[in-house]
Amino acid sequence: MSRSGRRPPVELASDEHDPGTPRAGRRRVFIAGARRRVAVHLIERLIANPEVEAVLGVDRGACPPTLLGCDPERFVFASADLSRRRQVDNLFLLDRFRGRPFDTVLHLAFQGNPHGYNFKSHEFNVNAAQHLLEASLRHGVGKYAFLSSDAVYRLGPRNDYKVREDAELNLDPGAHPILRDTLDAEFICRAKMDDPNCEVMVIRPSGVFGGGVISGINLLFESNPPVLPVGFDPMVNPTTKERLSRDLMLAIFLHGKGVFNVAGSTIGPLSRFFEERGIKPIRVPGPALKVANRLMRVLNMTRYHAGFHPKRLYYSLVLDDGKFERMFRSNAHHVHALDRSKDGME
Amino acid sequence: MPPLLRSKRLAMDLLRPLLPEREWDRVRAYPMNDVGLGTDAFGTRRELLGFAYALGYWLHRYYFRVVSAGHEHLPQQGGGVVVGNHSGVLPFDGMMVGADVFRYTEPPRLVRYMVDFFVYQLPFVGAFFRGMGQMPGTRRNFDGLVHEGHLVGIFPEGSAALGKKAEHRYELLPFSPGHVELAARHRVPVLPFGLVGAEEQQTMMTDLRPLARALRLPYFPITTTFPWLGPLGLLPRPSRYFIHYGSPLSIDPDALRSIEVRNHEIGRVQDAVAELLRRGQATRRQHAGGAS
Repeated sequence: MSRSGRRPPVELASDEHDPGTPRAGRRRVFIAGARRRVAVHLIERLIANPEVEAVLGVDRGACPPTLLGCDPERFVFASADLSRRRQVDNLFLLDRFRGRPFDTVLHLAFQGNPHGYNFKSHEFNVNAAQHLLEASLRHGVGKYAFLSSDAVYRLGPRNDYKVREDAELNLDPGAHPILRDTLDAEFICRAKMDDPNCEVMVIRPSGVFGGGVISGINLLFESNPPVLPVGFDPMVNPTTKERLSRDLMLAIFLHGKGVFNVAGSTIGPLSRFFEERGIKPIRVPGPALKVANRLMRVLNMTRYHAGFHPKRLYYSLVLDDGKFERMFRSNAHHVHALDRSKDGME
Repeated sequence: MPPLLRSKRLAMDLLRPLLPEREWDRVRAYPMNDVGLGTDAFGTRRELLGFAYALGYWLHRYYFRVVSAGHEHLPQQGGGVVVGNHSGVLPFDGMMVGADVFRYTEPPRLVRYMVDFFVYQLPFVGAFFRGMGQMPGTRRNFDGLVHEGHLVGIFPEGSAALGKKAEHRYELLPFSPGHVELAARHRVPVLPFGLVGAEEQQTMMTDLRPLARALRLPYFPITTTFPWLGPLGLLPRPSRYFIHYGSPLSIDPDALRSIEVRNHEIGRVQDAVAELLRRGQATRRQHAGGAS
């Protein structure tokens, strides 16, 4: 019995399960941050999967238009403020899900946009991470996954050619508040990773491409024109929102816990990614980069914030997602409708 | 075409005559594991490799007129740690060993050096080094390179050896233990070499340490020509290089467990390099005798 005195969920996670093996039963998924592009894409895929019984999408504001046509028997959208503990608890107690509670919670609601980031955003990020995880543990959820960021890694000339999960983190107290909050949220998750009943995962994606996605690299590519420092050409392996949502599906359907990098399969210099897309960046001397970026933001020519991750355009950050590959992607055949060829994956 | 690409094309066109066609074929034949956008996982770009080799080849053949021996000790495949002495204010010695190994191995092999971090803070220079397959000196980078069967170049004296003063020519600074540990861990041989000639390319008078610290450089050289002639003063004199490769040394795996064994193995490598240096100096004397 869970502490709330209710029946345990369909399935409890435990150390007995081998990583990469499929979780039993049909999924009942709680997705926080349902208005994010990646979340919308993921929800569409989940709804299309017969192994998913129901999805609850939660965010502030209205349901994204593309999800309005989803089968109401399988998808419910709720508007809530996740920074309020009571509101989070209420979501777990919705009539619809009381009898058959969630077995998976996906926290995609982290506010990572530096534009207009203030104390309220900070409070939301910290509280939402804490309340969601605590509520998940209290209500016997079998899997909890937090979508973090690759910005947590310390960047500099000493970086390895591929950055593994155990690489040095950016604990600089002068780092951007979003970064500090991301790390705080990660640590909240890591503190509960030994929970015997809930598999807690932290997923660190590389930069995400995709129309409308608020990721540093996507905002840079959507700038008109992108501005880069002269004389630097870092190596990157960005992913796409399609690939990321597929990786999140795997995280939902397969056993496994811990910290994982997820990244795209193509590694290359940033300039080559621009060339591939026919984008012509302009280059300015390094010391002038922040000023140029600020000016462009004022002129509404970019939404990219060079001050958020200042070394990003100077030093390589190639995520090594071998651990995720071994544990999850190599077991994708266990998950219905995740056939690589059908998915157009590399 | 963007100006940057135009300038790259121009640079390639200018360098093309420096390298004979058969050598361009070797550059094209160099086995590179493309991970998507024309580079390998380490960032090596074939066009930059060709660019660097064209320059290196010309310097190797016509400027430093390198005389080398012992190429039979270089393995045709598989990992190895290429270890030798370091000198000459600017690391032309590394470039010449790289060009020499590439030129005289079949199939061509690229020595990928573990480079000091400060290089990657410099605009253009860092990107250029990475494009040539030269990596920052971290353990994971070493592991990745050896795992993929590359030759990894290490100067165990460190970059400080470049700033050796003239009175310490051909004296080896103490070797750091990294190369021995890494070779033992990966069970790959250490391939020693001794390079004679680089010490004479610049005459180092003193090292302005406070300025070096302020500029975050390992040393700031005052030579007979620098800074008096401006950046041109850093150009090396065309002294002839003599490179000798020694027999591969297999490192006792106990070097990972015992400091005594590790120190003994470091001593073996250092002795091998010192011996190859003596051999190089003897060869140089013979050459000088022949020339006179």
